[in-house]
Amino acid sequence: MSVSDPNHLNESEYVESVRRERKRSQYQSAILSVIGILGFLILWQLSLVTGLVNSRFLSSPIEVVSLFITKLTDPRPDGAVIGANIVSSLIVALSGFGLAIVIGIPLGLLMGWYKGIDSFLRPIFEIIRPIPPVSWIPLTIVWVGIGLQAKAMIVFFAAFVPCLINSYTGIRQTREVLINVAKTFGASDFTTFLKVGIPYSMTMTFAGVKVAIGNAWATLVAAEMLAASSGLGYMILMGRQFGRVDLVILGIAVIGLIGTLITIIINAVENKILGWRKL
Amino acid sequence: MIKDKMKNMNEEEKRRYRLERLYKILPVISIFLLILLWSTVAAKSDFPSPKETCDRLMLLFENPIKGKNIFGHTAESLIRISIALLFNWTFGIAFGILIGWNKKAKALFTPLFNGFRAVPPLAWIPLITIWFGTGEFSKIMIVIFGSLASVVVNTQAGMLNVDQLYIDVGTSFNANERQKLFQIAIPSALDAIFAGIRTSTSAAWMVVLAAEMLGSESGVGFLIVRGMDAMDMPLVLAAMIVIGLVGALLAIITQYLERLMCPWTRVESN
Amino acid sequence: MDKSRVKLKVDNISQSYVVGDEVLDAILNVSFDVYDNEFLVILGPGNCGKTVLLNVIGGLEKPTGGKLYLDGEEIVGSDKRISMVFQELALMPWKTVMENVEFGLQIEGVDKKTRREIAQKYIDLVQLTGFEKSYPSQLSGGMKQRVGIARAYTSNPEILLMDEPFGQLDAQTRYSMQEEIQKIWQQEKRTILFVTNNIEEAIYLGDRIILMSKSPGKIKEIYDIDLPRPRNSMDPEFLAIRKEVSENTDLAL
Repeated sequence: MSVSDPNHLNESEYVESVRRERKRSQYQSAILSVIGILGFLILWQLSLVTGLVNSRFLSSPIEVVSLFITKLTDPRPDGAVIGANIVSSLIVALSGFGLAIVIGIPLGLLMGWYKGIDSFLRPIFEIIRPIPPVSWIPLTIVWVGIGLQAKAMIVFFAAFVPCLINSYTGIRQTREVLINVAKTFGASDFTTFLKVGIPYSMTMTFAGVKVAIGNAWATLVAAEMLAASSGLGYMILMGRQFGRVDLVILGIAVIGLIGTLITIIINAVENKILGWRKL
Repeated sequence: MIKDKMKNMNEEEKRRYRLERLYKILPVISIFLLILLWSTVAAKSDFPSPKETCDRLMLLFENPIKGKNIFGHTAESLIRISIALLFNWTFGIAFGILIGWNKKAKALFTPLFNGFRAVPPLAWIPLITIWFGTGEFSKIMIVIFGSLASVVVNTQAGMLNVDQLYIDVGTSFNANERQKLFQIAIPSALDAIFAGIRTSTSAAWMVVLAAEMLGSESGVGFLIVRGMDAMDMPLVLAAMIVIGLVGALLAIITQYLERLMCPWTRVESN
Repeated sequence: MDKSRVKLKVDNISQSYVVGDEVLDAILNVSFDVYDNEFLVILGPGNCGKTVLLNVIGGLEKPTGGKLYLDGEEIVGSDKRISMVFQELALMPWKTVMENVEFGLQIEGVDKKTRREIAQKYIDLVQLTGFEKSYPSQLSGGMKQRVGIARAYTSNPEILLMDEPFGQLDAQTRYSMQEEIQKIWQQEKRTILFVTNNIEEAIYLGDRIILMSKSPGKIKEIYDIDLPRPRNSMDPEFLAIRKEVSENTDLAL
């Protein structure tokens, strides 16, 4: 507290001075954040304007923004407008992610609760787990070609593992006391599973879902670069092939922005569903 | 023996005993069923059978592809991630400590860094190849870009979560800022830092694979693409098995490293 | 206790916090003297600002008003001559018992051999010989508090501040730790400021008891306890004091 001698201040003056101090430090960090981003953009722009960096290797932020506006209506050079690419990527990511949730979470919960299912499925899961999702690409191409299904499958592999592991760990951490409470009220094992185990595991499961959506979005890019004819990853790859660095940077920026947006949405959903946690 | 044991049990205990035994056999059954399923599918299509895959794997030890056998290719990939990880662990941990400890540095760099980390590791590949070509340096850069974020994020989180109580202990002994940082904050963040080291290792392994798949003459990722291009499916599967094994091994090694460096966490888990 | 020598003078200390639009006074105009080598207990219900008072004396918080004098000189911030034993188990889990105990000396820059020797002396004093290489997570609650006490002693402070050090122990361990701390204090005389919410503990340990009222924390009463040590909690005099203090204590919420 930076008040030198509060004994000479009356109460409201004192409150005012403390609040002013707090506001000041908040403003200070906000300003620093803005400086950080602006400084980066200015350095970026300057490096090109001064000719420090060859424009073959980098395009300026202004060029990228103007390309974004052009790409809203112009399908060249990769064959689709940016909106279509975004939609195409989102469909792939969401279908793979959705599938991972629908399969991964129930499987994780069942494996965590029932020992028999666990000892049957665990070995198979442990074999699949360490194989990076990307290395499934050739197999999926052989199995289902390079359409939506193939990409969704690769995304599925990436999102499935955290969904399963987290719901599994979450339900296994259910407090013994709570299970016993349910049992003393005469609940069957299955009812206890539904009414105690699953709710208890939700926090952990949700953390898994968050990791899964991040993984899904990240793997999507790889899938679209290795096996696709549309989408943001494909757009980046085309930019590379045509030597269009502005297109590559635009693709990276859009992917990053959408990834951030997804994180924001999922955090909001989590706060809504798991609001009781904070009480 | 077993009969003798069971004689002294009541019905409930017998049931439980049988279940325990079933749980022990089930993993074997499931693996057996998996191989059976694989074989059946292989018999009805041109998908390689377990035996073909196994033979192909054995062949990889003897017959080199592009001058290297399977050990050579694995070593290539491992060298790439080692260099990248060494850089990331020094630079990434230092940066994470900076933006986790210094409030001004945090305000200045966090939004920028969050922007960087929102981009999936593999999306950097085209840009990096434009910058650095397709050589060895470029691949290492790809792995650096791809596994840096997890080191920084975990380190920063560890530094932000240092318990105020420990800092108070330092204050009460008149520790200066430097001592608080090195004697208290960093050691207390060590387990978070190690979580970063673990995650970055598995991320690096995935990214190197993708980098090698997108253009390389060596490494395990190259083997997969080579198998795909030559319609050599057994090679693809054999490479996947090797990748999985090495990935699992890396996870075990980093976990062991953590126990070595943070012995108190081992104690707690007991 | 030598009442002619004032070790620490607490002069009109206040500490308040701004929460939203309001000022919350944690402690208000608290003044008292602490005598040399005295075992002074600060007693009060939960949330009466005892911990805040101790944090201010220990230099962890800057008071909004008032001054502190050690041996007649004003002190600001944390002072080398004052050491703290913390309420929660503030042992660093990544350090062994030895490393925790020698922490203060390490901060001072004492060389390894000397600080090991000093630390060993206090580890022996709190009867933890043989546990030097253990991690805190391997110790029981009582043992952890012994480590905390040894740590506070090693930097050779003139005043020890103890913030409800036994609050989290079970009753049995608590009794034996009370005996223990008394023994340690008698062997290695220091001035101790001991915060507790337990009346019996206060009367068992204190040369004097400062009773505080709650929100904002103010001094309600100061008791001199002239019973011979070790004290017996079944002693009629003990019980009489206990009744008196108890009737004067604000109820905690």
